[in-house]
Amino acid sequence: MSTVIEMKGERKVFKEEIETTDMALFVRTSDESMHDWNRQRIVDALLRETYIDPGTANEIAREVEELITTSKIKMITAPLIRELVDTKLIERGLEEARRMHTRLGMPLYDVDQLILHPNKENANVPHGPEATNLTLAERIKKEYALLSVFSQEVADAHMRGDIHLHDLGFVDRPYCSGQSLEYIKRYGLSLPNSIAMAKPAKHPEVLLAHMVKFAAALQSHFAGAIGWDSVNLFFAPYLVGMSDRDLEQLAQMMIFEFSQQAVARGGQAIFTDLNLYWEIPKHFEDVPAIGPGGEFTGKTYSHYIKESQRFAWALFDVYLGGDGSGRPFFFPKPLVHITEKFFHTPGHMDFLHHICEVASEKGNTYFVFDRGETAKISECCRLSFKLDQTDLEDAREPWKMRYCALQNVTLNLPRIAYLAKGDDTKLFSKITEFMEMAVKAHLEKKHFIEKLLSLGEKGPLSLLAMDRDGSPYLRMHRASFLIGMVGLNELVQIHTGQEMHQSKQAFKFGLKVIAHMKLLVEKLSQRYGMHFVLEQTPAESTAYRFAKLDLKFHSPQSGHIVKGDISRGEVYYTNSTYLNNSAVLSPIERVRQEGLFHPLIEAGALTHIWLGEARPSKQSLANFVIKTFQLTQNDQIAFSPEFTSCNLCHRTFRGLRSSCAYCGSMDVDGITRITGYFTKLSSWNKGKIGELRNRYRNQAFLKEKEGMVMLEA
Amino acid sequence: MTLEEEAMGTIKIFTKAKCPKCPAVQKIGNELKKEGITVFNYDLDTIDGLAEASFYSILSTPSLIIEDEHEREIIGWRGMVPSLHEVKQFLFKNHW
Repeated sequence: MSTVIEMKGERKVFKEEIETTDMALFVRTSDESMHDWNRQRIVDALLRETYIDPGTANEIAREVEELITTSKIKMITAPLIRELVDTKLIERGLEEARRMHTRLGMPLYDVDQLILHPNKENANVPHGPEATNLTLAERIKKEYALLSVFSQEVADAHMRGDIHLHDLGFVDRPYCSGQSLEYIKRYGLSLPNSIAMAKPAKHPEVLLAHMVKFAAALQSHFAGAIGWDSVNLFFAPYLVGMSDRDLEQLAQMMIFEFSQQAVARGGQAIFTDLNLYWEIPKHFEDVPAIGPGGEFTGKTYSHYIKESQRFAWALFDVYLGGDGSGRPFFFPKPLVHITEKFFHTPGHMDFLHHICEVASEKGNTYFVFDRGETAKISECCRLSFKLDQTDLEDAREPWKMRYCALQNVTLNLPRIAYLAKGDDTKLFSKITEFMEMAVKAHLEKKHFIEKLLSLGEKGPLSLLAMDRDGSPYLRMHRASFLIGMVGLNELVQIHTGQEMHQSKQAFKFGLKVIAHMKLLVEKLSQRYGMHFVLEQTPAESTAYRFAKLDLKFHSPQSGHIVKGDISRGEVYYTNSTYLNNSAVLSPIERVRQEGLFHPLIEAGALTHIWLGEARPSKQSLANFVIKTFQLTQNDQIAFSPEFTSCNLCHRTFRGLRSSCAYCGSMDVDGITRITGYFTKLSSWNKGKIGELRNRYRNQAFLKEKEGMVMLEA
Repeated sequence: MTLEEEAMGTIKIFTKAKCPKCPAVQKIGNELKKEGITVFNYDLDTIDGLAEASFYSILSTPSLIIEDEHEREIIGWRGMVPSLHEVKQFLFKNHW
């Protein structure tokens, strides 16, 4: 509650009267009432919020009152009083009490800027009153996190830029989640605090409505992505006998519903991942299917392959068309799992061509490679979980298959190399030190979330505490704790003098660093009984933040290392374990080389193939995908074309242009993939703009042949 | 045929401590070493071993690869134990 204290009448008179009447000062509160000045409020606050004794509290209150009365201030705000009290605490060396007495908030100027200008930390936050609310709340929670949730040691490491604690503004929620439609198919939509309970859906449209509502509810309980497993398969029992027209309509509804959720939290579309399969995944083959009304249909999922495939095809028909102005849909993201079984399932080549056409035309398709016996569920930009034996047992009751990552902490790898000064021993011991700091941050966050969850269905995380099947929705014992990395390429460059694509020796050194991190997370997992895993952090803003901080703290060396354009302020580090974005490398070689890191990064990894203006044939992309599956260890690939969309004539065309190719209007938006999703360039931070300028778009490997553009594989 | 004269490239063996079939491949490595072949052993529980294994896309143990003088893989057995005879066959293939 913000308060303003107004000084009435002569200050001299006030000073004389204050001890007797206390009436000359009024406190104006945000509930639009006036309160009298009362020194006791300072005392009460100090006793309530800190551990100091009543005598000292009274003494401080008197001193502050004296200061106010003798000053020439015309208007006193409550934050000012609090700051004055804080100075008195500092004078007495009561630093911890000062910390406990801190007021969280923002300067007037900052709020003004925030309301007027868009947020560039997350390109998925549009500009508007809802977004402003989100950002304001995030700022306060971020301060709260750094002061109260995390220890000073961890908070300082974040502030310095040794590590980055992601989504601090969402400190009171886990990071991201993956779930099964089977949960709402079986239990309906029965959310804590909801004013109406819905029984299990009987019709596909209703199931979709439940899915979207549940996703929105989950979005307000998780910071990031909401992933859904085997969406086409779990919808299938509802689609028996449905006409092509109706199926097409349902597919359209699904994609538009998720892409138009910009009316939800902070005006943000829900970061939705749809995991899709052409085959019946092995682990669901013999699982009893749940159909309309939440009833078992008496058949297993193997019986629904036709409906499952029809729905997957229809979804990609919608992606191919794009939105009302031909733009690619930003969300939901379709992730197609390519498995051994995929290649043994009839019709797979037709489907592969279909999804490759979408990849070439609009870029939506993510190709997730589950080789051997691995089964995965993907849920974030690239975050995926490999299902272990327990998960596969859960697959018999798929509603139990819900997973989460509690937090993501990223290490600033180039910083480690600056500090190591070329000394191997120092480098590896610094990596260990930074990782231990990340683990400490995870322990602190876990402790905090457990505290919130312990309040059960009446607490702030009631949705995650709800128990419909014998365990809470959030299965804490299955939670993962992510440790990400930014700038492996620059670490190697600083330490060895070469970037990873420049020599085998440099590349191998990069592998050594990640191997060290991998072995370390395994040890730490054993030590703490928690599941720590490496992740390729999307680092939409972290790659920029770390580069900026290192320019400040490790100059002049960092000036030669950061990528981008320093004169424009468009600086960045290469994301995660990627090779330099601008390196001229054949795309399949990039996919192969970057893929060598992927088995070490358990929580998932991705390679981008930037297409620029090119529109390669679906056949050549299909060939590329098959080769990637067969000849590399790459976990996931995505092809990213670029578009310009006109805000005047609402048409979309290929390539990034400053004016519309159709009507000449300058009011255009560039669109392409920022990290793990498509968005408008106008919302990108400077670091990512710098990266965009440098991206190698594979021009030399896109050849025209028989009237088609072919991507070399 | 004498091994010393005609051996091509080197052998890389990848093992782990808790791997039941690994001693069999290590035995092959020891045999080849005795015959003058360069054999490198990598333990996947160590940083260097895991990094080297990743470079050759080795995800399971035991594994054995033969590479030429430019560190290019000629052939590999991943997650399996070849016979000494098989390994020798490929090691000297170019000279047969």
